[in-house]
Amino acid sequence: MVICILASPIIVIRSFGASRPQAQEASNTAMTLLSKTITAFGSLLLAHACYSAREHTALQSIRAATAATLTSSSTAATSLPVDIIIETIISTFIILLGLVLGTRPLRPLEWRVWAGKIEREGEEGFTDNAGAVDKDYMGNPFSVLESRPNFVDIRKQRKEFAEWVQKGDGKQGQ
Amino acid sequence: MPSEQELQISPIVQESLVHNSRTLYNLQSLTASLFGVSAGILGLESYSGFVFYVALSLVTAVLFYALRVAPTSLASGKPPLDTSRYFRGAYDFWAGGLMNGFAGFVLTWTLFYGLVTA
Repeated sequence: MVICILASPIIVIRSFGASRPQAQEASNTAMTLLSKTITAFGSLLLAHACYSAREHTALQSIRAATAATLTSSSTAATSLPVDIIIETIISTFIILLGLVLGTRPLRPLEWRVWAGKIEREGEEGFTDNAGAVDKDYMGNPFSVLESRPNFVDIRKQRKEFAEWVQKGDGKQGQ
Repeated sequence: MPSEQELQISPIVQESLVHNSRTLYNLQSLTASLFGVSAGILGLESYSGFVFYVALSLVTAVLFYALRVAPTSLASGKPPLDTSRYFRGAYDFWAGGLMNGFAGFVLTWTLFYGLVTA
């Protein structure tokens, strides 16, 4: 903690890319759509497999009932057809893929990694899959320290202001 | 598990820990119910059902690692299969699903076994 506080004045890098947040948001929404589509498709396959298995057992029991009158009922214990088994397993994996893709992005555990991510990406690094910023995002943990008046570089700000005024005058003059 | 001294040197963000654990827990509960459904449809009984569950929850952990943890973890210089960027215990990550989703698995397993075979 002490190290963090000592290091905080050094971390004054603010570089927010203008185009990057939009691109990330677009990819996030595409990701949500992709995962939902995959999950829905897998659920459809799984429901079909379930229905097929149900029908298969029903058919088996009917066949066993009719066969019991003729011969001994040894055919009742047949296993599922291979295509239903394959469909079940494949649909399980498809849904699994969709669910894993639909999980929310993780956050770094270590304080320094996490704070660095906040500095670099801002609130765009802490969005859910739909692109909305997380509710418990609280921003830069050092913002109180960084806005201390003692640490403001007043000469730099004055120089920037002078340049801005000059540029503005030049534009008005033209 | 990191010691007290290491925690002092590189502190951990509690909110991130809670967020990551909850994300993993939600995934494990959901997928455990899903595996119960497919085990019931396949008509698995006794040990084969449990083996099915163990195998698929390991697959879930590997898939979650490959899609969610690995891209940023490997880029930050961690060795492969190291989850320390996002999770504290390696055991909790790889085998936690066996405990977390077990009740849901048995529930949907018996339900769908009964639905399909009865």
